[in-house]
Amino acid sequence: MGINAFKRALWAFHVNTGSCNGCDIEIIAALTPRYDAERFGIKLVGSPRHADVLLVTGPVTRQMAPALKRIYEQMADPKAVIVVGNCGISGGVFHESYNLVGPVDNIIPVDVYVPGCAARPEAIIYGVVKAWEKLEKVYGAEGG
Amino acid sequence: MKATDVLEHIKDRLGDAVHEAYMQVRKVGVSKRERYHIWVKIDRKKIRDAVNCLAEIQPYPHLCVISGYDDGDNVVLVYHFVINYETKKEAISVNFSVHLPKNDLCIDTITDLIPGALITEREKIEMLGVDFIGLEDKRRVFLPDDFPEGVYPWRRDEKGPEKMLHKLYEVGDRE
Amino acid sequence: MSVVYEVPVGPVHPALKEPVAVKCYIEGEEVVDVDVILGQNHRGIEWIGMNRDNPVQSLRMASRVCGICTNVHPLSLVQAVEAAADIEVPERADYIRAIMLEVDRIHSHLLWAGVAAHELGFDTLLHYTWKFREEVMDLAEYISGNRVTFEMEMYGGVRRDIPPEKYPKIIKAMNYYEAKFEKLVEMFLNDKTIALRTVGVGVLSREEALKLCLVGPTTRARGVKKDVRVDLPTMAYADLDIEPVTPDIYRDEVVGDVYDNIVVRLFEVKQSIDIIRQCLDQMPNGPILAEEKLPKLLNMLKKASGEGFGLTEAPRGEVVHYVKLKEMETFYAWKIRASTYNNIPAWEPMLIGAQIADIPIIVASIDPCLSCTNRAVVLDGGKEKVLSHEDLHRLSVQKTRRLIRYGK
Repeated sequence: MGINAFKRALWAFHVNTGSCNGCDIEIIAALTPRYDAERFGIKLVGSPRHADVLLVTGPVTRQMAPALKRIYEQMADPKAVIVVGNCGISGGVFHESYNLVGPVDNIIPVDVYVPGCAARPEAIIYGVVKAWEKLEKVYGAEGG
Repeated sequence: MKATDVLEHIKDRLGDAVHEAYMQVRKVGVSKRERYHIWVKIDRKKIRDAVNCLAEIQPYPHLCVISGYDDGDNVVLVYHFVINYETKKEAISVNFSVHLPKNDLCIDTITDLIPGALITEREKIEMLGVDFIGLEDKRRVFLPDDFPEGVYPWRRDEKGPEKMLHKLYEVGDRE
Repeated sequence: MSVVYEVPVGPVHPALKEPVAVKCYIEGEEVVDVDVILGQNHRGIEWIGMNRDNPVQSLRMASRVCGICTNVHPLSLVQAVEAAADIEVPERADYIRAIMLEVDRIHSHLLWAGVAAHELGFDTLLHYTWKFREEVMDLAEYISGNRVTFEMEMYGGVRRDIPPEKYPKIIKAMNYYEAKFEKLVEMFLNDKTIALRTVGVGVLSREEALKLCLVGPTTRARGVKKDVRVDLPTMAYADLDIEPVTPDIYRDEVVGDVYDNIVVRLFEVKQSIDIIRQCLDQMPNGPILAEEKLPKLLNMLKKASGEGFGLTEAPRGEVVHYVKLKEMETFYAWKIRASTYNNIPAWEPMLIGAQIADIPIIVASIDPCLSCTNRAVVLDGGKEKVLSHEDLHRLSVQKTRRLIRYGK
């Protein structure tokens, strides 16, 4: 597979919409020396405007829903959204509540789902790779 | 001070305001060491006296949290304290419960005696609709600002959150 | 003052944690007032727990209150329920619970140390500590089958035994940490730059710590010997002889600043290693569950009535759960209180008078379990300007560089 859409490294932005921190620490664990996703150029950045991929954790609380939408809109195309963890996919253990409005795909379109409670670092890296492949398929033909 | 003495001290100081009092003993570890939990049901007007009477045993009694639940006609608040901390295995958990009738949901604040009680008192306002007399900062803590007025998530009556429930697994019409 | 922003967008550096907003009102470089806005992470767990089909389902919820102190909430909950339903826990289960709690503490304190290093702009140290931390994650997986959510607890005991053939690997991991401990202390406590950034920063007096009912390392760093494991022991701690860790273990006197926080947390890692060793040495034999048959257990809980209160010393401080059972399928009342809940009021006295560049490290010093989006509102000539976490982090890093270069 030739890389056309991204001629440079893939950057990710992480947003927590009310998760328990379990998946969040695994996302960082994926970046630190044991798993070292940074060697592939996958890096967490501090602003959605710099990011190619959005990592979302958590079942989306009432307060975070508008924020999540706004972050998604701030990202430049081409972009992909990855949901990390069961609660963002279907609610998981938080499947019914008065202060949750999720799951994530109820708020924004999602490309890749990484299940797990909590998702393992290997799974998260695999999810990012899948998102990368999808972006290549969709935008690669256009020559980036 | 031993747990039995603490219980006597509370009964002595609060007198008729004590409606019910008992001690729960848990045995832990191989050594079967005893661990004491004192549960006292008191008159709601005496909550400040209860705090003061613990402060006589140890200045700055440690307030863990104020719990609360809906008990039909009443809302019950439970004040959880730990005293004799900074000792070796001698601390005692003391819990005061107060019953507030639903037509008059109010109680004196204890934030001037224990400044650390602020967040937990504010939480009881939004979760159960209890009013704390003398509390200045009554803003919400955990619920969003656009959360409807008059809905109290921990209530079991018509003011509960039933109307607002959202089932995350039932969301249909996905693309 | 009106609320200035509504989006807790985390430029969440991996510094994990949930969104929380700390509004700091600033004049020039100095913080003059602080307001904390919580609740972006409110999932209504207590309500969910009270409306589940049975208490075991709620127990699984308790593990998901927090993914970092994942063993602590179920531990407090089972203790509360055991007290309410009067269930006696087998001794072996008490020891296994204590081991898992200390495994949790080692990983959480190392995680915090990494985050603190990051907040100071010392990312090499972040990566180093996190590499170091993976060993204990492996150990957790080896014992429980999971890296993050251990799911070891059950009402009346634990779900998995630690058979003697697993001891050597646990001891090996403890040896690994003991060997590396000196180096960790060297890197954090003998480093000139870290000392410049943390000594005398975020000072809080013993008196204030007592008044605000602070818990855990945040209060022990102020010289208060509050530790549930020592003063109100449960589980194996009732048999062990341990001392609360206070900063005078390393320093001559207790100052109550951020540096003291680092001292307490690092030396607690060492204490945890000791406790795990002692538990393995003294581990009693016998069953690990009071009632093995789940339907029987559920029936017992359904018939029980009473109230119980469970306290556990989490990595961040005391975690308490209150449960009331009333002869029904599920809990009649359930209240969770995490340690950060009590520690948040500490930000105000610690931040007032601090410089903008010191906000990140002070906020991180209590190890907030629901934070990351630290935003500050700068009052600049009456106009409000919002600083994002990223800006704050940049200022913090600039200050570190300035200190390295010019020493002031």
